[in-house]
Amino acid sequence: MKRLLHSRGFVVALVVLVLGACLPLVSSSGYILGLLTVAFYTAVFAMAWDLLFGFAGEVNFGPTFLIGVGAYTAGILDARFAPEISIWICVIAGAAAAVVGGVVLALPALRVRGPYFGLTTLVAVLMLQNFVVVFADLTGGEIGLSVPDVLSVKASVNYWIAFGFMTISGAILFGLSRSPIGLVLQASGQDPVQAGALGFNVAKHKLAAFIVSAFFSGLAGSLMTFYMGTLSVGTFVDLAVGVQIIIAAVLGGRRTVIGAAIGAIFLIGAGELLRPLGELATLIVSVFALAVILFFPEGFLGMLRGRMRRA
Amino acid sequence: MRFWQILIDGFAISALYALGATGFTLIFGVSGVLNLAHGAIMVGAAVAAFAATAEFHLDPYTSALIGVATGLVLAYATYYIAVRPIQRSRAIAEAEKEIFILTSTLLWGIIIQEAIAYLFTNNAKTVVPLVEGVITVLGVRTPANEYFTAFVCWIAIGLLWLVVNKTRRGKAVRAASMNPRGVTMVGIELSTIHLAVWTVYGLLAGIAGILLGMFLGVSSYSVGPLTASAFSIVVLGGLGSVSGSLAAAFVVGYLETLTAYLISPAYRTIPSLLLLVIVMYVRPSGLFGRRTA
Amino acid sequence: MAELATIAPMLEVSKLTKRFGGLVAVKDLSFSIRPGEILGLIGPNGSGKSTAMKSIMGVERPTSGSVRLDGEEIAGLPSHKIARLGIGLVFQHSRPLNRQTVLENIKVALIPDRLTQVFAGRELDDRAREVATRVGLAHVVDRRPPTLPFADLRRLELAKAVARHPRVVLVDEPFAGLTASEVATFSELIHGFRAEGRAVLLVDHNVKSVSALVDRVLAMYLGERIAEGSAAEVMANETVRRVYLGGALARVARAQTAGDRPCALEVDRVSVRYGKALALDDVSLTVGEGEFVSLVGLNGAGKTTLFNAISGLVPYSGSLRFCGEALASKTAAAIARGGVVQCPETRELFGDMSVRENLDLGGYALSDAEREERCTWLFDLFPILRDRQAQIARTLSGGEQQMLAIARALMMKPKLLMLDEPTLGLAPVILETLSKALEKLRATTSISVLLAEQNVTFALPHADRVYVIDHARLVWEGPPDRFESEAAAAYL
Repeated sequence: MKRLLHSRGFVVALVVLVLGACLPLVSSSGYILGLLTVAFYTAVFAMAWDLLFGFAGEVNFGPTFLIGVGAYTAGILDARFAPEISIWICVIAGAAAAVVGGVVLALPALRVRGPYFGLTTLVAVLMLQNFVVVFADLTGGEIGLSVPDVLSVKASVNYWIAFGFMTISGAILFGLSRSPIGLVLQASGQDPVQAGALGFNVAKHKLAAFIVSAFFSGLAGSLMTFYMGTLSVGTFVDLAVGVQIIIAAVLGGRRTVIGAAIGAIFLIGAGELLRPLGELATLIVSVFALAVILFFPEGFLGMLRGRMRRA
Repeated sequence: MRFWQILIDGFAISALYALGATGFTLIFGVSGVLNLAHGAIMVGAAVAAFAATAEFHLDPYTSALIGVATGLVLAYATYYIAVRPIQRSRAIAEAEKEIFILTSTLLWGIIIQEAIAYLFTNNAKTVVPLVEGVITVLGVRTPANEYFTAFVCWIAIGLLWLVVNKTRRGKAVRAASMNPRGVTMVGIELSTIHLAVWTVYGLLAGIAGILLGMFLGVSSYSVGPLTASAFSIVVLGGLGSVSGSLAAAFVVGYLETLTAYLISPAYRTIPSLLLLVIVMYVRPSGLFGRRTA
Repeated sequence: MAELATIAPMLEVSKLTKRFGGLVAVKDLSFSIRPGEILGLIGPNGSGKSTAMKSIMGVERPTSGSVRLDGEEIAGLPSHKIARLGIGLVFQHSRPLNRQTVLENIKVALIPDRLTQVFAGRELDDRAREVATRVGLAHVVDRRPPTLPFADLRRLELAKAVARHPRVVLVDEPFAGLTASEVATFSELIHGFRAEGRAVLLVDHNVKSVSALVDRVLAMYLGERIAEGSAAEVMANETVRRVYLGGALARVARAQTAGDRPCALEVDRVSVRYGKALALDDVSLTVGEGEFVSLVGLNGAGKTTLFNAISGLVPYSGSLRFCGEALASKTAAAIARGGVVQCPETRELFGDMSVRENLDLGGYALSDAEREERCTWLFDLFPILRDRQAQIARTLSGGEQQMLAIARALMMKPKLLMLDEPTLGLAPVILETLSKALEKLRATTSISVLLAEQNVTFALPHADRVYVIDHARLVWEGPPDRFESEAAAAYL
């Protein structure tokens, strides 16, 4: 622990965080603050994904399932029952619903091997998509749902909420990854048979990892709903969005947690920069992402770590 | 009356699904790859055929051929860009290669999809059918094109079956799906087999694509649902089992048609998805699949 | 040893049975180990020894039977519970967490199985250091596994297994991949366990490698116990010798083979490493044109590794040449097409295809007429294959499958045929048929043969020359008639 607090990485991270927190004091551009707010929520999505994949070794191909369940639960509750229900109850309900979704997803995962689990997660996203479209009167269908409440109308407040949430979530998730539990998760993901022979109930640990990942995904999804004021299938329950989250984690470096956050912020920023190109934007980002997978599978932090080792 | 309509429509849709799914399963069985760019390849073929007619004013037969050729080219591109580099990579751990390939094929599919949208807009396109007119059978009026679709699909599947089971090269492919090491030991290069499989796949996907274009029309939005239905069928039938895919294609095709006619077209995909969820919980290896390793 | 007999056993296994569907892997196995005792569980591949070990550990669930730890029944419990009750397992393959230090790897073994364990205390650190010192890793505790030599990785596995001071220690193939001096150090470590009063079970392929270490040996074959006693008793046991050596060694008179033949296999100082484990150490041998050479050795000695190196399936250092051409530049399939054909231990048949289809695939590169002709010749060599032409390969008996595998290899018109343990698991009657077929092959063709076998009685009669391989190294070479006097004693 002491070693961590004194390490170079920690100091750098602290400096960056302080700078980040001060940004709204310096810039009042709603555009930049808004962009970063979205980036911060995406960062939490990516970090939650990394904990599950990088550590427990479970390939979640549809992180947007958990996010979507959280977002839609919170959104529908608010749309239906506001103003009797406080916005924060909706948020908590969203997180809870996502946890339930995570458990439901975990059950087949703990029984099957190989590509089947990845497929289950893909199917889950499709199911949710269809569900939303079919029950349009409840969910707003393809057009989307507007929620009456928002977290705040001021860009700077929204920014700070997102920033604070990302920092706390990041600290917790990172801390977990470095803790003894994190070590056990890694061992379970790498070689469940050996982990069992060392005395660990692998199923129990993996389920716990699912629940933690689901909790943060759902929570972030709910908060983001109340930031944006609307939600639709395209923003939350899309396969393409899910792939973006995976790319963010891979880009930043799997199994680093912090890398996922960096990757997410980078991707959102890059996507925005390319927006003037119109339809080509998605194309270019996808090409870039493919190149990353093919040529830099270790990701940014992964490469950095490798270089530091060799030095 | 309704009954015959459902029967015929269901048959045509199932045949199309079967053709697409067979190719998908073949690739998985031999290469071990779940190609998530599948829908993109099909749509790419259809759009190429459309462009040949609309932009270059070629006759329908040549356009169809161009479409199939495009399917082939896209399939090769998928293999050489998104699949092979990862399979050979030293930087990625063996256990993780599968998810990397899934992600890369998905990305490649998105790239193709976006390119199509950029070059041809999102609007639906139809490919000029090779067969015109309407046929009336038992009081049901059906476009002749629909019969043509079912016919071609089954011919293609039949040819595939013949090749894989009766020809020397086809048997080598079958052997590779059973035991790749054995194939190497009898002196057959696996790389040649992979090339052959992706070639067959490209042709099948191309044909399925242009038939779909003639029958229902396609757009860049079709890409996702097409891939989704292909792998739903393949998972339902059992990964790696061609007969399983064929059976599942019919189950799904008829489920969808029945739902569209009897309940509502909007709910078409629900029953098959529900079935898929049940199967995944109860018997993840599918109806005919190999046991998970 | 008298006092030992009165102490209650720490581990007691009674009538342990494990079935996988129709296959009985372990049948009615019973034994016990007292604290401070080392038992060796010996058997060739497929004998059930690994399955037995996994069943004790809970990695596999026993079908029936009882396993008692210090009187407490543990059969059927999941592995993590059994581990916490006091059994440690040292796996054959090292799988450390490569991104963590040695100390952190050991700490994992010490962490309690609680979800709330978020902070690690100082105490955990100290205990981990203590364990590291015990196994001789004190000087590398802060290094990461990728930087460590193989022997240290094995020590790490040992450390993880004994970190919580288990009462029983199971060790899977303790010396695989280690050099001779490393074997000595490891033996001492295992001796140390005995001194600490633990019950130790060693699982291995051959008696010789563990004979210095164990108090008793239990030999297994096809899932059942075939002998038990001291190491010397078991090595002299009739059944054991029959299973390992194939019975009494017949003296064979061999005609001298003619000299100078051009097309030979030259293996020159070939070594193979799997990760860091040494599987083949500086092996050199030759097979002349038309020669029949037997490579004799027990399981795990390195025969299959050598074959895989020759066939181009694993990377190696050193030089391999056939007919003067280096094999290194060719793909595996090209090597097979070039006339060096392997009939592997696992046979690698195309299970869902018929006998005829399997043979046809062997003759893939031939013209239709040639293929037909060759098939006819093979049916003469193995008449039973003609009768079963249309049968699906998976449904053939073991002996028939082996014949099909050899026939398929012969379809390829090999110049050198490499047979890897063709007799494994086959009944004596089948061995007769195989032996006759090999004899006919010798008499009617000029195909060179390299036969790798554990069964010496089968391997010797046909051979022009014999090599003996043990623990990745060649230890003897000579004509078969000198084998019994010079090499046989050391073999088992």
